[in-house]
Amino acid sequence: MTQQLFAWLDERLDLSALRHFVAEKSVPVHRHKVWYYMGGVTLFLVGVQVATGILLLLYYRPSAGEAYESVKFIVTQVEFGWLIRNLHSWSANLLVFMAFVHLFSTLFLRSYRKPRELTWVSGVLLLFIMMGFGFSGYLLPWNELAFFATKVGTGIAGAVPFVGDFMVRFLRGGDEVTGATLTRFYGLHVAILPAMTTVVLGMHLLFIQRQGMSVPPSVEKREKAGEKIPQMPFFPHYVLHDVMWWYVALAVLAALALFSPWELGTKADAFAPVPAGIRPEWYFLAMFQVLKLLPAHIMGIEGEVLGVLGFGLCAVVLLLLPFLDRGAAEGRSSKLVTWGGIVALAYMFVFTIYGYLAA
Amino acid sequence: MRSFIVRVFLAGVAALVVSAGTGHAQPAQATGCQTCHSGETASHLSAPARDFAAADVHRDRGFTCVDCHGGDPSATDKAAAKAPATKFRGKPTGTQIVEVCARCHSDAALMRKYAPRQRVDQATEYASSVHGQQLAKGDHNVATCVSCHGAHGVRLVSDAQSPVYPLNVANTCTTCHADENRMKGYMRNGAPLATDQKVKYDGSVHHQAMVERNDLSAPTCNDCHGNHGAAPPGVGAVTNVCGTCHTVFATKFALSTHSAIFDRGCVECHNNHDIAQPTDAMLGTDEKAMCATCHSEGDNGHKAATSMRTGIDQLKAAIAHSEEQIAAVENAGIEMGDQTMALREAGNHLTLARTEMHAFEPVAVTKILEEGIGLTTQVDVAAKAANAELSFRKTGLAISLAAILLVVVALQLKIRTLPGVES
Amino acid sequence: MSAQDRATGPGTIKRRSFIDIVLGLGFVSTAVSFIYPLWRYAIPPIAAEPATDSIIAGKISEFKTNSGVLLKFGSKPAILIRTPDGQFRAFSAVCTHLDCTVQFKSDTSQIWCACHNGLYDVSGQVVSGPPPRPLETFAVNLRGEPGQEEVVISRT
Repeated sequence: MTQQLFAWLDERLDLSALRHFVAEKSVPVHRHKVWYYMGGVTLFLVGVQVATGILLLLYYRPSAGEAYESVKFIVTQVEFGWLIRNLHSWSANLLVFMAFVHLFSTLFLRSYRKPRELTWVSGVLLLFIMMGFGFSGYLLPWNELAFFATKVGTGIAGAVPFVGDFMVRFLRGGDEVTGATLTRFYGLHVAILPAMTTVVLGMHLLFIQRQGMSVPPSVEKREKAGEKIPQMPFFPHYVLHDVMWWYVALAVLAALALFSPWELGTKADAFAPVPAGIRPEWYFLAMFQVLKLLPAHIMGIEGEVLGVLGFGLCAVVLLLLPFLDRGAAEGRSSKLVTWGGIVALAYMFVFTIYGYLAA
Repeated sequence: MRSFIVRVFLAGVAALVVSAGTGHAQPAQATGCQTCHSGETASHLSAPARDFAAADVHRDRGFTCVDCHGGDPSATDKAAAKAPATKFRGKPTGTQIVEVCARCHSDAALMRKYAPRQRVDQATEYASSVHGQQLAKGDHNVATCVSCHGAHGVRLVSDAQSPVYPLNVANTCTTCHADENRMKGYMRNGAPLATDQKVKYDGSVHHQAMVERNDLSAPTCNDCHGNHGAAPPGVGAVTNVCGTCHTVFATKFALSTHSAIFDRGCVECHNNHDIAQPTDAMLGTDEKAMCATCHSEGDNGHKAATSMRTGIDQLKAAIAHSEEQIAAVENAGIEMGDQTMALREAGNHLTLARTEMHAFEPVAVTKILEEGIGLTTQVDVAAKAANAELSFRKTGLAISLAAILLVVVALQLKIRTLPGVES
Repeated sequence: MSAQDRATGPGTIKRRSFIDIVLGLGFVSTAVSFIYPLWRYAIPPIAAEPATDSIIAGKISEFKTNSGVLLKFGSKPAILIRTPDGQFRAFSAVCTHLDCTVQFKSDTSQIWCACHNGLYDVSGQVVSGPPPRPLETFAVNLRGEPGQEEVVISRT
């Protein structure tokens, strides 16, 4: 039946180019190929987020007076609401995790080298966008933890020199975290960031389709030496592998929802004292912990300011990595990048755990 | 010549003044008293004039010095102003004070002209009070009308600056009653009068209600002791006095076995001035409780106290336990609004039990407590059902997880069956 | 799938078909386990919206004159009264004295608190007893076809 449908469309739209592309599309096979699927899993999770997010939209109310109650309503009254909410919350975390996995794998495999610089840049932008999704979405249930985590998080933006105060007001929709912040974050979460994602993700995927999969430098060396690298057809091999990894991600999600269901928490109260051990979500925890550890003043400059600037610098380096490590294009694996990656990974691992234990 | 004209003028004024007669408001021109008195250096002579001129409820209604003190305000000469013919009374002392005030304030027809709803029996009440009786015996140490109301700066009771405004009454009474020197020599029931009532009252729940919650209906000295007929409530009267506000407790107590036994009624357990917030710890037979003071192991009272206290503690614990369960379930995502309401109702039963306890009949108290336990049991059942629902969800998820893993395995196997990749 | 798949012997075909069947079943069952909840989720539940600010007490015919009924409003009880002349009034049923739940006494047409004998009139004002403040008032509106209206209680 799909054949008939395809034929009908082909008659009208001439899908021969598409058919050709799909039939000919192939993916290199080598011992690092498992990392190829990580991007796909991340994309799948974005899909899960969009689907569950749209469903939540049907019942969620973005006002300080009704947000918590509407989430409670979804979880207690709407059939399977508890499932959709759990999936959305856990998938968000898993998504950020996979995005980092994807980032580090492409970093260590030097996938960012020429001609794929723009793919990398768009990817890093997507990572920032996903973290923005995480930060804005976290406030939406309007419970105590979310409220204070947002308060602390947006407060850190004030450490940026010159534009810090403006940034805080811009983020919060005012001087304090209020219903105005909630509405603003909601707009960010369901409209602005999705629009940006559509554009940037579209570009990212377009580049990949256009350029095909990157191979690790070691494989490229073999290729240049004349060896023919085995290829697997996109259909059905790669697709089945991809779908399998998607199902693995689903299994992880189901397990997380099963063993660690998300709770409602208590409704946010702006005038309540900050609960002890307040901290942001795990993907911000490493940065948060560093900021907490920095001394109040370093050489006359506020510690927090230096910390924020430091992270800003890291973000810029990450974004411009392909242009900083031009040697990768010529097959010279930069030891600096390798060690930089290992240190970054170790730092994130150690400080995230430290952040959890310190609370 | 000039002094002649002045005299004629003043005589004319005096004629006007005199013609107005006693008991009527004098026109404001009769301020002759103040002309001399405000200029006096001695404060006991100048203060009255000053206070009366500043803010006084009598002055506001057109009364003057003459209406209480007599005298001739038009006369510039002191002797002439205070001549016997002017009916000058000077400073009233002792019972004279009561007479002066009562002359108007016990005259119903007169008071109707100024304050139709005001009572006119204060003097009669006062005569029945300890103060009044002492005064009649010639004791000038005691309070009279002016001690509490003031003489020259009298304000309405509803005026927040009046010494008899509800918030100020305790301080007014304390001026004398906490003064050890002043209270020396007064005895009651063979013991000297206490002077620590105010200190005790300040720590009480009634004082707290008035001062912290702005509840002006909370009692202060006069609400239990009487206004003008001030005397401590006697034996048998305490329950009724407390009962003017605490109706339900008073009724239950009055019909109980203790009402005939407790001379001091409610005060036996709750004290009179330092009334603290009652707690469940007061009921029972352990060391902190009051019942063991009289009841010993084996007697009916002991058994009753133990039974009621145990029951109340049981219901409290049951409510706390159910609340915990509900909170956990709600947090996990099941609606428990009806159960929250049922627990609220169980809490009401706790309140009712504490009230019923004052009849000292364990059977009635137990009945109420059992109803409360019935409610908490219902809630526990609902909590269990909710937990079962949560388990059901988890089972569903587990099954989905199994199905997903099955697909993963099947996919793996399928991939293996695919022809090898092109080399 | 390509023709190569069917090239090998009978045993292998059966095994592959078996896997195909299992795979097919797996896909279908997992798809159903995704689609079904999504579908049920999108169908509105019985209580259309979170009952924070307004509730439907019932149909107008359910309430007799000179009677009162206790309802759940948010997390606290509310009392809906129909006065002897047919008017609807709604208040918080939480007594302002010590939080007991009040009730309507039809013999005196007053709201009464059993705990300590507090009395309120049909406007929620304190008549006698310990309550320090009147009952919190809620708005009552009638909505729907005349004769079959719903009584709606809301916070403002």
